[in-house]
Amino acid sequence: MIRNNRMKRYSIVSAVVAAGAMVLSTLPAQAADPGVTATEIKLGVSTPLTGSAGLAYGKVPGAMKAYFDFINANGGVNGRKIKLVVRDDKYLPTLAATQTTNLVLKDNVFALVGALGTATHSKAYTAASLASKNVPDLFVNTGFSGFGNTTKYPTTFTVLPSYAMEAKIMSKFITENFKGQAVALIAQDDEFGVDGVNGFAAGKLTLANKTLYPTSSITDARAKALLTGLSAIPGKPVLVLFGTTDVTALILKAAESLDLVGKFTWIAGSVGGDANTLLALGVKPATITGVLAASFFPDAKDSSDEYVSQFMKINEKYNKGVSFDNTVLQGMNSAMLTVQALRAAGKNLTRTGLIEAVQNKGSKFASAGLVPLNYSATSHIGYNGYWFGQLNAKGELKPFGGTLAIFTTDSAAGAIEASTYTRPALPKNGIPTNS
Amino acid sequence: MKNLKITRGLVALTSAALIATFAVAVPTAARAADLDCSTTAAASKYGAFDTTLCSGKDQFGAKFEIAMPKKFNGTFIVYSHGIRKNTNLPKLPVVAPNGYVVDNSPDIAPSKEVAAALLKQGFALGGSGVQTQGWNLQDQVLATTIVIDQAITKFPKINHVAAWGNSLGGLSTQLLAEQNPGLVDAVAPMCLAESALAEFTMAGDFLWGVKTLFDPTIKATGYSSGMTGYTEMVTDIGKVLTVFGTLSALIKANPTAPAWPASSTVPDSLKAIPSRSAVLLLGLISGISTQSSTFDSSSGPAGPLETSFGLAISPALAVLENGAEAAILAVVGNYDMELQAGGVVFDNSKTNYAARLGEDGDIYAAGLTGKTATAGMLGYLSALNPAAPRVTADQNAVARAKALGEIEGKITVPTITMTATADHITPPGATQYLINKYKASVASKQSKSGLLVNIWNKPADEYTKFDSAGSPIAPATPTNGTQHCNFTESQTMLVAKLLTDAAKTGKAPTNKTVLAAIKKQSGLFVDPNYVAPLFKYRQ
Repeated sequence: MIRNNRMKRYSIVSAVVAAGAMVLSTLPAQAADPGVTATEIKLGVSTPLTGSAGLAYGKVPGAMKAYFDFINANGGVNGRKIKLVVRDDKYLPTLAATQTTNLVLKDNVFALVGALGTATHSKAYTAASLASKNVPDLFVNTGFSGFGNTTKYPTTFTVLPSYAMEAKIMSKFITENFKGQAVALIAQDDEFGVDGVNGFAAGKLTLANKTLYPTSSITDARAKALLTGLSAIPGKPVLVLFGTTDVTALILKAAESLDLVGKFTWIAGSVGGDANTLLALGVKPATITGVLAASFFPDAKDSSDEYVSQFMKINEKYNKGVSFDNTVLQGMNSAMLTVQALRAAGKNLTRTGLIEAVQNKGSKFASAGLVPLNYSATSHIGYNGYWFGQLNAKGELKPFGGTLAIFTTDSAAGAIEASTYTRPALPKNGIPTNS
Repeated sequence: MKNLKITRGLVALTSAALIATFAVAVPTAARAADLDCSTTAAASKYGAFDTTLCSGKDQFGAKFEIAMPKKFNGTFIVYSHGIRKNTNLPKLPVVAPNGYVVDNSPDIAPSKEVAAALLKQGFALGGSGVQTQGWNLQDQVLATTIVIDQAITKFPKINHVAAWGNSLGGLSTQLLAEQNPGLVDAVAPMCLAESALAEFTMAGDFLWGVKTLFDPTIKATGYSSGMTGYTEMVTDIGKVLTVFGTLSALIKANPTAPAWPASSTVPDSLKAIPSRSAVLLLGLISGISTQSSTFDSSSGPAGPLETSFGLAISPALAVLENGAEAAILAVVGNYDMELQAGGVVFDNSKTNYAARLGEDGDIYAAGLTGKTATAGMLGYLSALNPAAPRVTADQNAVARAKALGEIEGKITVPTITMTATADHITPPGATQYLINKYKASVASKQSKSGLLVNIWNKPADEYTKFDSAGSPIAPATPTNGTQHCNFTESQTMLVAKLLTDAAKTGKAPTNKTVLAAIKKQSGLFVDPNYVAPLFKYRQ
């Protein structure tokens, strides 16, 4: 009896195998990439909208959406309107992984644009299986040099210069302009800060004091204790704040409280030096006056810059009620890069085509950046340089010493060189026409 | 049945070989006559009327049941239960509040509710209690083949056989199909377990870390023989529970900078790091999920702690919540495996925990109190630190543990998995390992493609609740997508439907079919490109 049943079982299995083969032979060769129709391109971004990071960087997606709305009102990209799906990750790695997975799986976006954060995005990239899905991951707002690993992050293109580049150029700036002053560093004790510390070492900057703090651990009391300790350094030390804007604000406010603003020459890294955000977070205008900050963009208040001027107009019309600052500038610029990337990928839009378009043509895209973009098949890092300026009470960043001096470098031991880059002109009316 | 010339030594042979032996040597009528069948038992046990419930005991002493509804639809579903403790336990909080007695009772479905529902639909059900408990993989495979044999013999009207199981039962279900081509028509391993070495490396790494950082008097491995060893094991459970209770109280008292338990002997420099960071580190290096029933690592109480709670505190509390069970599993599991294999199986003599941490050291830098603190903790756990002695396994015991079996990925029948992304006992890496092995098997033309369908179960995006004071609230029912094999009845029934349809048609469900089936299940998703992290043992 059992033998008979076993024979039957074997015959059933054979039938299964044969049927499976028949099913396979009828499957289409390849399905189209999700998120693209004849009339729409769906893009997604996971970024902090709420929580402490949302206060500092929450304007980015709104600015991107405003620029896309502007492009949509002017015909879209090859006849397709761009839809941006925004999900709030609160700057939390696990939530970023969840939201990025949702964007790809539930929202069926074609590509990701403008994600923000290092820990958040590295977790999200793996959790959402972006590599195996070949999801273009464009213009990520992080300077972590690790994202330059194209084997690990084959579909990712970052937009910010790396933190190591920034620290190297900052080292040169400090060494040349503040001779004789001791230098102290306060930085995040994570890959962001460590990237910076490595850059300072590569830039041969001698640090009299180095404080690394865990993310989200700085409180008013901790900031005051830190500054009290550092105030013992003789003379007028240069104090480098290499962290996020909320921490820069906490430390500057602690300095106000301790009457130590004048004790230091303050330098804020690009991530934490947006004047408008610092003012919004309660730092006094008098405190930010004279603070040194790094940037690779024109000043967001410089309406004489053609990119800034155009973006201001777009912001006024499509992002009503939102003040224009470096964060908005960053968001709009990334959106403009995205539009050029989509155009460069052609009418027959595919994920592979979009990635190849950025690799092959991305270095020629028009952008507000005052330093070159470095996209190629081997480099997925965007900008590569900085200039230094000084903030005034209005929150404007003016070139240090009155002359704009831009430097470029790499994330390793390469030289720090004066930039010879000539920025492409703004596309007519701010609407790219590249192909 | 007594004529059967099979000894316990044959258990090590493949089930297929054993089936062949039965076919020659066992008089069918003799075996079928050993079944005790009744219609009243099914009603009282499963609430199933018009159903015949047959109970029996196989030639190895394993108790089994077969339930046959009057309106039988032709498909028999055999169930393999998850791991059970292999030894009696006294009353122990959390682990065995009422004590535990090994009874080898059979289960015919994941729950009595599911059994009742399936019987009502006309499916026949069966399952074995298995003659051994603990990590009884090959015994369970064998016991299940015997149940199938008995069912087919007793009820010749069975046309299709489907097999499913939870956890270790999921693994044995997969092996049942791999080792016995043609025996079953479709399988559904749910909350699939990895191999013994992979599972006990995960739990063992965590337990070793708990011992090293929080209470070096925990024995953890190398249990003595006889009653002495049993006492050591039970004592360890008590110590582990004490450590976790203490940590929980310390974190509750000061979530930002909790102190270390008094039983810890680490240097003061390490104790300057919040103990929650040490808990998180142990979770990350061993592969314990950072999402638990209460803690989602994504939410914070309204107010100033909103971001920092989700970033730095919630992941540690999730590991703490999950880790207690993982550590207990390690104690009970190590004890069981050492008895079975004849020596220490856990080995971390060459483990590089810094490499194990990998990029999680960056992702969770805030929760780990920064890279400097992380380096300090990893330094203490280093193999070079004499205060943190490593464990070296008995290689003969390891070889025996390996011989207990693991997935080959040779799939010949429709196979449907359901796996929670935040299961802390059988993480999704076990299913991913099956996927990888199957892909390799297809690539080498040993398996046909298109036979494996994976359903994933993730928790809600954000689910931690807080009271008005900002304290987290433990949910009344475990959060779906977290915990071990924590599927709802409707999710389980959904798998049963796909499984039995596949058994009838011989075809794996299409993506469209599965999407339609899970449409109303917010936590379930299918994604052929989803890649779960493998167990640390495999990385």
